[in-house]
Amino acid sequence: MNRSVTRERIVPIASSLAAIVAAFLVGGIFLELRGKDALNAYQILFQRGLGNSDGLTETLKQMAPVLIVSGGLLIALKAGIWNIGVDGQFLIGALMAGAVGANLAGDVPQAVMIICGAVAGFAGGLAWAIVPAALAVRFGLNEIITTLMMNYVAVNVTSWLVKGPFKDPDRVAPETKQIPYELRLPFIPGTEVHIGLIIGLVVVVLVAILFRSTVPGYMLTVLGRNKRAAIHAGMPVGLLTVLALLLSGGFAGLAGANDVMGVQGVFKANWDPGYGFTAFALVYLARLNSLAIIPFAFFFSFLLIGGASMPRRADVPTYYIQILEGLMLIFFACSVYFERRLMAAWNRRRSEGSEEHAAPAPIESPAVVVGEV
Amino acid sequence: MVIRASAGIAGTLGAQDVPVVQMKEISKRFGTVQANSNVSLQLFPGEVHAVLGENGAGKTTLMNILSGMYHPDAGTIEINGAPVTIASPSDALEQGIGTVYQHFTLVPNLSVIENVILGMKTRFVLDLSGAERRLLEMLGDFGLTASPRTEVRHLSLGERQRVEIIKVLFRGSRVLLLDEPTSVLTPVEVEGLFKILLRLKAEGVAVVLITHKLEEALEVSDRVSILRQGRKVGELLPDDIAASGRAATKKLIVELMFGGTAGGEQPNADSQHQSADGIQTTATGDAADSGRTLLELRGVTALDSRGAKAVRDISLQLKAGEILGIAGVDGNGQKELGEVIAGQRHVTSGSVSIAGQEITNKGVSAAAKAGAGYVTDDRLGEGAVPGASVAENAVLKTISRRPFSKGGFWLDRPAIEAHAQSLIDEFNVKTPDTSTRLTLLSGGNIQKLLLARELATDPQVLVCNKPTNGLDLKTAQFVLQTLRSQADQGKAVVLISSELEEILEISDRVGVMYNGELVAIFPRAEVKIETIGHLMLSGRDRAEAFA
Repeated sequence: MNRSVTRERIVPIASSLAAIVAAFLVGGIFLELRGKDALNAYQILFQRGLGNSDGLTETLKQMAPVLIVSGGLLIALKAGIWNIGVDGQFLIGALMAGAVGANLAGDVPQAVMIICGAVAGFAGGLAWAIVPAALAVRFGLNEIITTLMMNYVAVNVTSWLVKGPFKDPDRVAPETKQIPYELRLPFIPGTEVHIGLIIGLVVVVLVAILFRSTVPGYMLTVLGRNKRAAIHAGMPVGLLTVLALLLSGGFAGLAGANDVMGVQGVFKANWDPGYGFTAFALVYLARLNSLAIIPFAFFFSFLLIGGASMPRRADVPTYYIQILEGLMLIFFACSVYFERRLMAAWNRRRSEGSEEHAAPAPIESPAVVVGEV
Repeated sequence: MVIRASAGIAGTLGAQDVPVVQMKEISKRFGTVQANSNVSLQLFPGEVHAVLGENGAGKTTLMNILSGMYHPDAGTIEINGAPVTIASPSDALEQGIGTVYQHFTLVPNLSVIENVILGMKTRFVLDLSGAERRLLEMLGDFGLTASPRTEVRHLSLGERQRVEIIKVLFRGSRVLLLDEPTSVLTPVEVEGLFKILLRLKAEGVAVVLITHKLEEALEVSDRVSILRQGRKVGELLPDDIAASGRAATKKLIVELMFGGTAGGEQPNADSQHQSADGIQTTATGDAADSGRTLLELRGVTALDSRGAKAVRDISLQLKAGEILGIAGVDGNGQKELGEVIAGQRHVTSGSVSIAGQEITNKGVSAAAKAGAGYVTDDRLGEGAVPGASVAENAVLKTISRRPFSKGGFWLDRPAIEAHAQSLIDEFNVKTPDTSTRLTLLSGGNIQKLLLARELATDPQVLVCNKPTNGLDLKTAQFVLQTLRSQADQGKAVVLISSELEEILEISDRVGVMYNGELVAIFPRAEVKIETIGHLMLSGRDRAEAFA
C-alpha cells in the first residue's frame, strides 16, 4: 500500500515537471527555427530571473500578485467553478485601492492607509464577482460566460473611471493620484522586496488550511468533484458557489491592490497585467494543490521577469513567455492523459491480485482530472 | 394456445411470409452476465412484434445487436434471407433497420429538417428544399403541423418522437425498432403513436416494440415474444392471441415473464435469494401494528428531472418496525418517491412527515435531521465522491456534525478516520485502509459503506433504492439482513426494488408503483406474485381480473 501511495504522490508532480520540460524543448525548437540561439535565450532568461540579486528581488516582488490571484483562483477551480473573470476583478480591485489609498495617503498613518486600500481592493474584486455568482445560483447561468463578459465591462468601467471621477486633476495622463513612494508597502527588513510577498504566502497558506482543515473547504472539494453528491448529502450548494466565486474575486482584487500600493503607486488607464492566464496555467500545473502553488508561483514569476529582458538581450519578444505557458498547458493535458492510463494499468494489476473486481472508473468532471491526490 | 420453446422456432414459422429479419440463436455475454442466450426472433413485414420482459431480461441487448451497437458472441442475422453482418448503427440504417431510442437523439437547437438529414450522406451543399418537399408530406402523414423549419426544442415529447420515427423512415428503413416508446408519452400521445404504428403496418413496415407495458403491447401487437433472464421463454402468434382472448393471454404472459405459476404464493423456484444463508424472516406484520407512525405521506405529487409528473398523489403510512417493499418496473416513479422522502426532491403538492415532523420541501438536511436516511441506487453518481478517500466518503452527510467537526467549521481528521475505520470493521468493508480512493473498492463494498454511513446516523426512516443491485449473493443477503434487523430494532424501512424476490423476502407490506401511482399495497401474507406482476405491468385498472 505504501508503495502505491508514494506513486500517487510522485506521479502527478512528475507529469507537471515533464510538461514544463517539454514546453521548453519545443519552445526552443521554435526559436532555433526562427534562427535564434535558443540556448543563449534560455541562459539569459535564467540569469536575469534568478542569476543575480536584482533579478531575484524582481522575481520575488512579482510573486506577490501571482500568489494572491492563484490562491483565490484555486478556491473556485477546486469547487468546480471556472472564474474566468480574475483579470476584471483584479482591475476593479486595483482601481479601488488606487482611489482609496491615494486619497488617504498623508492624512492617516501608513498602516491605516494600507489596510484601507487592501480592504477596498478585496471588496472591489469581490463586488465584481457578485453578478456572476447571483446569476449562476439564481438562474443557473454558466459562470464561464458571465465572468468572461464581466472582464470586458471591467476594462471599460475602470478606464472610464480613471479618465473621469477618479482622475488626478493635476496630471494630464489619465491616472489616479500617486501614492508617495515612502508610503507604499514597506520592504521586508534586509531586502528590497515589499511585504506583498508575505501577504501572498499568507493567502496561499490560508487557502491550504481552508481545504485541509475546515468544513467549508471539504464541502467545496465535494462540490467540485461531484456536484450531485453534494446535493445528495444536503450541502448548501448555492451558498458554496457564491462563497467560492466571491472569495476568488476578492483575492483577485487584493492582488490588484498589492500591485497599486506596492509597485505602481498609481492606477493608470490601459494598465492591465493580465495575470489570469498565468494563474490558470499555474493552478492546473500545481494540480489544484494549495501549497504547490508556492514553488510554481516562483517559477512563473521568474519567467515573467526573465522574459521581460529577453527582447533586449536575446532578441526574443516578451510574449515568448506566453507561448511557453501555452505549451506547458498543452503538454500538461498530454501528460495527464498518459498519467491516467498508467494509473489505470496499476489499478488493474492490483485488482487482478485481489478477489473482487474494482468498481468501474467513473466519468469525472474536468476539474477532477487534475484533482489533488 | 401454443407456446413454443425458444430453440427450434426458426424452422417452424413463416409459412405465410418471408421474414424481413431473422435473428437466429443470438447469444451475448457481458462479463459474468449472460444477457442473451440462444434467442431467435423473426420480423415480418406489416407486423408489429412486441418484445416483452422485465428489466434486465435482455430486450435492449437484443435490439442493440440488431441495430449494430453490439456484436453477438454467437448466432446469425439474416435480412430477406441473406446472412448479414451489422457492423454499426449507420450500417444498420443502410440495411433498412432504423431505431428510435428511449432517450431521443435529436438536436434541440436544430430544425426538424436539419435533424432529419443529420448524418445522411449529403453533398457539401445541402439540398434542403428538395428534402423539405418530401418531409412536408411525411409530417402531414404523421399528423404534425409543425413546419420543417421549426426548431426541435419547440416540439413536445410526443412530436419529437414522431420526428425520430420520420428520421429513420426518411432514410428508407423498412424495419423500425422502438425502445420503450410510450415511457415519455401522455395517454393521448400514446394513442397517436399507435395510430402511426397501424399505418406503418399497412405500408408493410416491420415494427419491433420493446416494452414492459403489457396492456400496450397487446393493443397494437400482432406477435409477442417474451424474454426472461436472457432467454426467449415464449412466443405468441397472432392466431394464438386472437383465439384465447386478452385476459387469458395476459395471464399467460405474466407467468412467462416472472416465471411464477398461477396461484403460487412463493417466489419462483430458481430465485437465487431463496437459497443460501437463509434469513430468518420475522415479517409477520403483527409487530408492525403496534408501532408508532414514523413516515407519513399525504397526497404527494412530484415531478421528475425532466419536468414530467413522476409521483402521483401518493399517500402512505409506515410504522416503526415495518418494511415496506415498493415493487415496480424501473422508471415508474419509485426513485422519485425515495428522493421525496429524503428531502432531495421537491413536491408540487402534498406533505411528507418523518417521526411526526413535517419536512415537506425543507430540503435534505431538514429531512435528515428529522430522521430520514436514504441509500441511493446511483452509488458513484450521487452517493459518493469517487475520487475522494473512503474516510472522506464516510462522513459525506455528517461532516458538519460533532465529532467530525468542531463548531461546524474545523475538521477533526482523527475522528473522521476513526469513524470510517469503525464502519469498515462493523460492516466488513474490504479496503486496504481509510485513505484508499473509493473507486478502488468493489461495488459491493461501496454499497456496504454507503449503507453503513446511513445507519450510523441512526435514521428513523431508511429508504433504500435497489440496495442489492449488482452485488454478489452473499453481500446481497447481508444487506437484506441488515435492513430486516433495522426494522426489528424499531425503524421503518422503505425498500425500493425491481426484484420481486428480495422484496418478498423481507417486507411486511408490498406496494406496487405504476406510472407514478402507488396502485396497491398488500400485507406480505396476502401477496400473490402474479397479481404483483400484473400490477407492475399494467397498473390498477386492469388488475381486477386477477384480484
